[in-house]
Amino acid sequence: MEKVPAIEAKNISKTFHISEDSHNTVKHRLFNLFNPPRAKKVEAIKKMDFVVYKGECIGLLGRNGCGKSTLVRLLAGVYPTDTGHINIYGSTLLMNLGVGMSHQLTARENIYVSASVLGLKIKEIDNIFDKIVDFAELREFIDTKIKYFSSGMVARLGFSIAVNAGADIMFLDEIFAVGDMKFQEKAVKVFESSWIEGKTVILVSHSMDVIKKYCSRTAFMKNGSLVFFGETNEAIDMYVKDNHE
Amino acid sequence: MIFSVLGDWFSRSNKFERIWLLAKIEFKLRYYENKLGLFWALLKPLMDIVIYYTVFNIILNQQIPGFASFLFIGLILWNFFVESTTGTIQILNTKKYLYEYSNMNKLEIYIATLFSTTIGFFFNFMMFLLFYNFIEPASKGTGAHSLWIIPIFFNMFILSLGFSLILSNIYIIAKDINQVWQVLVQFLFFLSPIFYKLELFTKALPSMTYANPIAGIIINARMVMIDGTTPHLKLLAYDMAYAFAFLLFGLYLLNKLGSKAAEKL
Repeated sequence: MEKVPAIEAKNISKTFHISEDSHNTVKHRLFNLFNPPRAKKVEAIKKMDFVVYKGECIGLLGRNGCGKSTLVRLLAGVYPTDTGHINIYGSTLLMNLGVGMSHQLTARENIYVSASVLGLKIKEIDNIFDKIVDFAELREFIDTKIKYFSSGMVARLGFSIAVNAGADIMFLDEIFAVGDMKFQEKAVKVFESSWIEGKTVILVSHSMDVIKKYCSRTAFMKNGSLVFFGETNEAIDMYVKDNHE
Repeated sequence: MIFSVLGDWFSRSNKFERIWLLAKIEFKLRYYENKLGLFWALLKPLMDIVIYYTVFNIILNQQIPGFASFLFIGLILWNFFVESTTGTIQILNTKKYLYEYSNMNKLEIYIATLFSTTIGFFFNFMMFLLFYNFIEPASKGTGAHSLWIIPIFFNMFILSLGFSLILSNIYIIAKDINQVWQVLVQFLFFLSPIFYKLELFTKALPSMTYANPIAGIIINARMVMIDGTTPHLKLLAYDMAYAFAFLLFGLYLLNKLGSKAAEKL
């Protein structure tokens, strides 16, 4: 079968300029015209190329601060790259502790807005609405603003929207840390069902078991560089070795 | 050919549905969250009209025929501009949840917010039509020429979108743009013929008719809605050119600064 690319990254890099002075007002900028802010450069992602194909489940490994979350944000189209370019074929969803939701809106409104952002039509959302509500176990709070929800309830709603609405390309950043034990079991069950079939998934996790179980290829990152991208077992060995250094 | 491509795009894409959904929710948040609800949106221009009518027609005795209608159409257009610009300076901050987790096009957020302001304008405009046709003693009535208000409002919409894009993207690098804009808005308000006679305005500030696009839009809106004539086409062309120039600059800023909103805000 011919492989169709979902994400093509060519020569991409990202550097953050962290300013020590707060030059973020018109006044500051005018008074400091000849005194530019002192900025510290942090090379979060060093130049790298790779292709992720449609339907693949890719693992992303690396120690804290190695640039995993920044890379995921670049690939999801949330951050712009400094060099190179990324071709993204389809809608993306970045999910860590939740998906994007407004605390000013009710659960019902958030479901419609989030699912619509993920590319679904209103009729399609109507069809999966009950499924989302029941999966999140929030039926009696459906018309309550989510600012009154506990963090666990918000996380459950976000997870439920992501699972049922989905996007063409999903970035899952430590999602198995969401909700209580019962909900986590449910999340794992979803993952083990046919949910990820046909979807492109980039999975960030510190859990070796999860990565080993679901990912066909895995990337290992260190200090902003893509050290390895290939066989999952090999990437896990490198990661374990790096942790023991 | 173009229509079939566009039709196909609309039927397959959910963009328009999404923009409309966001606009409706924004409208509801804005008006239904306070006790007076939509009534407040209608009451605000009426209260403004009472104030300006008292000052300019009773105290200063300006002698403009149908002054209440003259004020009404000017004020609702002006309020639309202010709500669309001042009200959206922090839009990339307040609507961060929409683009922080997906690759949604940020321009859709702006269009949705302006659509919700347009709904408010529509209600005000309906009030104006009722007032002008049934209450205003100096009314000449509305007719086919009044349809010119559609391109004139479109002009205002594009101009407001341009300013909204410019201001909200500058906000990413200069947080006090809000205060600067409030002063500029005050200045623009007095440089637009909202509550004084057009002759007085053009005599004192002859260049302003062409230099200030809002002045041009208000002048043309009055021509088509109150004077019963066609708009000043040269002025309309000028104002359209201004609006699209500001829109292009706004889009440039969105591409340059707005793309970094997720990391900077």
